[in-house]
Amino acid sequence: MTSYRKPRPRIGPDNAPFWQGCRAHRLMLPTCGACGKPHLPPAPVCPFCFCDDIVWQEASGRGHISTFTIVHKAWFPAFRDETPYNVVQVELDEGPRLTSRIVGAGDQKIAIGQRVEVVFTDIDEQLTLHGFRIVAA
Amino acid sequence: MCWSSPARPSGGSYCARTGDDVNIDAAIVGIGTSAFGRGLTESQLALAAQAFKSALADAGLERSDVDGLSVHLGWPLGPDYDRIAEAFGLEIRYVNQAWLHGRFVTSALQHAMLAVSAGLADVVACVTAVSFTRERGFLGGPGDVEGNREEGGTHGEAPPYGLTAPAGGAAIAMQRYMHLYGATSAQLAAVPIAMRNHACRNPRAIMQEPLTLTAHQAARMVVDPLRLFDCCLISDGAAVVLVARTARARDLRQKPVRVIGMQGTRSGRDEFIFAPRSLGINQQSARRSADRQIDFEVFAQAGLSRKDVQGFYTYDASSPLVLFALERFGYCAAGEAAAWVQGGRIELGGALPVNTSGGLLSEAHVAGWNSICEMVRQLRGTAGASQIANAAVLQWGTAWGDSVMLAA
Repeated sequence: MTSYRKPRPRIGPDNAPFWQGCRAHRLMLPTCGACGKPHLPPAPVCPFCFCDDIVWQEASGRGHISTFTIVHKAWFPAFRDETPYNVVQVELDEGPRLTSRIVGAGDQKIAIGQRVEVVFTDIDEQLTLHGFRIVAA
Repeated sequence: MCWSSPARPSGGSYCARTGDDVNIDAAIVGIGTSAFGRGLTESQLALAAQAFKSALADAGLERSDVDGLSVHLGWPLGPDYDRIAEAFGLEIRYVNQAWLHGRFVTSALQHAMLAVSAGLADVVACVTAVSFTRERGFLGGPGDVEGNREEGGTHGEAPPYGLTAPAGGAAIAMQRYMHLYGATSAQLAAVPIAMRNHACRNPRAIMQEPLTLTAHQAARMVVDPLRLFDCCLISDGAAVVLVARTARARDLRQKPVRVIGMQGTRSGRDEFIFAPRSLGINQQSARRSADRQIDFEVFAQAGLSRKDVQGFYTYDASSPLVLFALERFGYCAAGEAAAWVQGGRIELGGALPVNTSGGLLSEAHVAGWNSICEMVRQLRGTAGASQIANAAVLQWGTAWGDSVMLAA
């Protein structure tokens, strides 16, 4: 099916719409139908008001880097060829934070506070991963 | 009857909260360890047996006296409770086993203390026997179930993005901490250097050569900003801690080490296992809030203040966790810990010695139980070259906010 050897997200009932959204190149957030607040990671109820009415809404795809690391050690064999590589947490403009990566950073130094915008990478027929690129503030 | 002060001369229970009638009546009556090392050839069960026999001999108890087990780390890193009971020929009537994660060291000890207090068992053996070197592929690698929990849990792992080991969670927390407060890697080095200095006084410790700031800074980056010596040892070993009621403890071989206060693990959206509250990691709020009294219950229960605590012991799987634990328990304010640990303050002879046997960073990674055994030796006055003078009150407390206060 695929030669992709890195770990894949575990997709279940609560987060399936999120990953289906990525397939369609849309960043979707579970949002409370009662209080209106979005949350991550996807949950079956609103963590703020405990309401069951979760609706999926497309996020702006913009935010800023709230923290990051550069991984030098290859804990997974499939990541060995990429070390050192970045992992970031992005605080979306809507509020929730998402662990992802910066793609195409080139010589740009990754730093907390940088503005970023979502991009999508199609891995195979089943999986599309979100990533972010640095944009001008 | 229930007491709230540890100043009473001998044993007895204390109230978990003023006005409640929950009496915690527990003492550590025996400790035992296997050898610690890297690449030990014995099975985890064999290491556990060494530590178990050593703890029984220490306490003056027989195998048949143990009727409870509290197991912190089971298969595949260590033996599960049922294998231990079966292999050692025990008759067990109370069991607790935590999920396979270091964070449950405190709750494994607390379960033992609660169980004897409630009469569910007379003597509970807390058994931890790990072979991290043999199961190395499991740690943060393809076999790591923890790292593949749905959405990674509150521990930071994101396997599809290659953030898969506990050190990664500590790294993203420390990166933000440095950004917010201007802390540096060179300041962080004070933590592993202190642990190494302690290990050099401890013949059981795996690391025996002093660590210099130059060597710390020159060591390879593992997961930025954590360098090699900011990450704990990958090692093998076992520790057993025997817990009984104080009345029982008084009849045994050793001077009992009493629990005089405790508080449980904090959890919620404002918590991240490897960060103080409200650091802005995962879904934490990004505004450090004022101290909450509920996070200092352990002091109120013990009827003590920080200045009464003569040594602090914590789960130092990576250097930042020591800073975060010190802030958790109010030894310094938010953002101050990196400066606070300078100048030998957390070393023997300093204001608050931390992990006086060398901790996970330099003694061995027995999931914190090596440090709990050290607390017991300190309070018995048998810590040798590492002895804190007249040690009477020591605190165990973790970066995730749980704690046990122990007293001689």
